[in-house]
Order: sequence, then C-alpha cells, then structure tokens
Amino acid sequence: MNDDIHALSGAYAVDALDDVERARFERHLASCPTCQTEVAGLREAAAELSSLSVQAPPSALRQRVLHDITTVRPLPPQLPGSSTPTMAPDAPSGTSRVRRPGGPPSGDASSSPRRWRLLVAAAAAAVLTIGGLAVWRSTSPAPPAESVASQVLEAPDASRLVKTLPGGARATIVRSPSLGKAVIVASGMPAPPAGRVYQLWLQEPSGRMAPAGFMPAAARTGEEQVALLNGNAATATGAGVTVEPVGGSAQPTSAPVMLFTFS
Amino acid sequence: MDSMGRFSVFSSGEGQPEENAGEPPGQPDLGRLLRRSAAGDEGAFGELYDAASARVHGLVRRVVRDPAQSEEVTQETFLEIWRQSARFDPRRGSALSWMLTIAHRKAVDRVRSAEAASRRDEAWHTTTSDVPHDTTAETVALRLDAERVRRALDTLTDTQRGALELAYLSGYTHTEVASMLDLPLGTAKTRIRDGLIRLRDTLGVTS
Repeated sequence: MNDDIHALSGAYAVDALDDVERARFERHLASCPTCQTEVAGLREAAAELSSLSVQAPPSALRQRVLHDITTVRPLPPQLPGSSTPTMAPDAPSGTSRVRRPGGPPSGDASSSPRRWRLLVAAAAAAVLTIGGLAVWRSTSPAPPAESVASQVLEAPDASRLVKTLPGGARATIVRSPSLGKAVIVASGMPAPPAGRVYQLWLQEPSGRMAPAGFMPAAARTGEEQVALLNGNAATATGAGVTVEPVGGSAQPTSAPVMLFTFS
Repeated sequence: MDSMGRFSVFSSGEGQPEENAGEPPGQPDLGRLLRRSAAGDEGAFGELYDAASARVHGLVRRVVRDPAQSEEVTQETFLEIWRQSARFDPRRGSALSWMLTIAHRKAVDRVRSAEAASRRDEAWHTTTSDVPHDTTAETVALRLDAERVRRALDTLTDTQRGALELAYLSGYTHTEVASMLDLPLGTAKTRIRDGLIRLRDTLGVTS
C-alpha cells in the first residue's frame, strides 16, 4: 500500500481505481499541484479517445434531457473559500438521477423513497441472519482526524471488508490493527430521509455497539464518503451503519443498513 | 424560473448566442454554452447537447454497451452537466473533456454495479467507431480527429495501448487490467499512465 501514490494519476484519470484507492488518491490530490496538473492533462488525452466511438443518441433522448433540465436549477458557482477545490466535476449526487418517462424508475434514483425502502428491507433481512447485536452502549466519540484516516488508508496492515447493497451502493471498511483505527469508504449511498443521518458503530468484544461517528453528508466533491470510525478498531469485533435522527443516538434505534464482522 | 430573469443576462450585449468568431463552423464554443447554461439558459443547453451528445453517448455506449442502460446514463450525464455547469473552470481543461469526465465516471459506475455485471459479456460487435460518411463540416472534423487519435495510439506499445483501452474504453480497474494482460500486479497503472502521457504528448493536448 506504500507504493508511490503519484503513480496512480493515470489510473485515476481514467476511473480505473477502486473506491479505496480513489479515496486515497483524492486525499493526496487535494494537496499536490503536480498531480492536479498531470491529471488534468491526462484527462484531456483520455477524452481524445472518445473520438473513436462517436455515436449519436436516439433522437427521443434530446426531448427527455431538455425536459429534465426544467425540473432542477443549476447549482450555484463555488465561491472562493466556500469549499475545498475539486479537480473532478462534482460527483453524481443523489438529486440528479433521472427516470425514463413512461418507464419504471431507473432503479438507482438515490433519493427515492423506493430505493430507500429497498435498502432498509435488505438490511433488515440481513440482520436476521447475524444477531448478537442486542446490547448497545453509549460512548462519547473523539473527533475524527483527517490525517488518521489517511494513515489508515495507507497502512501496510490494512485489511478490507466490502459490502454491496441493492441499488449499487457500496461500502468498504479499511481497518488497520496496528493503528487501532478503521475507516469507512462508501459510494452511491442514497441520501438518508430528511432529518436523519447515517450513524457509525463499532462492536465491542462484549457485543455492545458503541457510537463511532457519522457518515459525512452526501459528498459534493467526490462520490465517495470517507469517515474515520471513532473507537478502538483493533479490539472491535465488527462495525455497523444505522439510520438515526440528526444528532445521533446513544444506541442504535433502527435495523442496521450494513453490518461488518471483523475476523 | 421566469423567462425575464433568464434572458436578461443576454440583453446586455455581452453574450449573444452566436458562436465565437475564432471557431470553425460547426464547432460551437462549448465553454461558452456551459456558462450560459449555468445562468439558466435552456436554449444554450440545447445547443450544447446538439454539439456534444454524439461524443458523450458514443463513449457511454462503448463502456456500458447495453443500449437501454447507455441511454439512461447519457440522460443522467446531461442532467448532471446542467446541474454542475457553474462549476466548469476553463483554466482546468476543456469543456468537452470536463463533460466526458462526468460521462465516463457515470458509465464506469454503471458497469461496475452488480445489476449490470451480467450484461457486459456480450461482445462489442456493433461498432461505433466509424462515423457515417456524410460531408458536413462537423463530421469531417470528427473523422480527422479519429484519424489523428488512431495515429497517436499507434505510437504506444501494445501493452500501453491494451491497458489504456481496457481501462478507459471498457471500464476495468487497473488491477483487473493487470490480470487480463498477465502483467505483474501493480504495473498496469504504470502502463496506463505511460500510455496517457504518450498520447497527451503526441496529440499536443494541454489542460
């Protein structure tokens, strides 16, 4: 994991990194002007390749697109200092998914109640087979540190657990026993219902679930959401994600949408 | 959105819908159309769609392959381009590259999602690489572009070209590419980068 991170620029420019590598590289990219320039140039070069596969879309698509844009306004410009600069166009966000008129929902309308219910239903089914989560406990989490998250993603002993959910959402837990920390990298997660957040939990050896922080609000600067889990990930036996009221809960109050068992 | 507000932006004489004086015919200034789109100009976005949709959809089709899913991805891409139009920064690259970056990411996400996994095995036989031989200035320009890119690709080593095509045009990760090309783990990303650098320098593209 400690290979030269600059060497990932090409694979990043053509979307050939997996979620965790992309998260690592984007952390690096934010502070590396050399890589920013290189990625921009390599993206221009890659874009040239599309001249080999020109194909007009069906003519009916034009009308659908022009109808779509009447339903949402363009985002305001990013003003200086308002946010971290982004190399990439902002990632697809939950509000931009579209449906085909006259057809079924496209299946990944991230903010749609339908997809949301699907996710919760699947999670509820999953929890039946796992169990052992009966005792929950409150702990006050320490604030997450960006640099610690980066260290975990780079750690030579880091191991990964991946979960894929209906609708295409994915989450990976990267855990470093030597650092005693774990990071969750999620992509394509539907936005939680209004007034709710994704809360993170670490399962202690006793089986109790301790609050471990929150998923950041729907990412605007990249599709991945990255969060450091507060607590000792070296002794933890698992991790989970639940939906809780804004502000969080002292113990889970809903079925987990994801559960990870550490080996 | 009321039309008065939308069009008042253009009544100052600063931005008439005509193309840039320096642009060849049939090549509207995409960056300018994006800027007008960001101000809510739906007509400008229609022009942008007409100018770029064949490039966007062609790339999406190449990666996603399934026609119905490709249409959905192209539709999502253009809605995203509309939403993000104010975030386009011409100092960081061309408008076309910016739009294709959005399209490519969405296409790759689509093929990597579990639902699409079973659909990509179908061979890529309905080739999209040949632009129809008509004589509009736009089409001729596209054919010249394609020729130029083919020649540039010829300067890459077989491994660089293979790795780049599997990654960019088929949406595989560099780890998958390494396995498919029997490369030592970790070297496909280097081949992809070397190939892109070669392509960039040969084509003389600048960001």
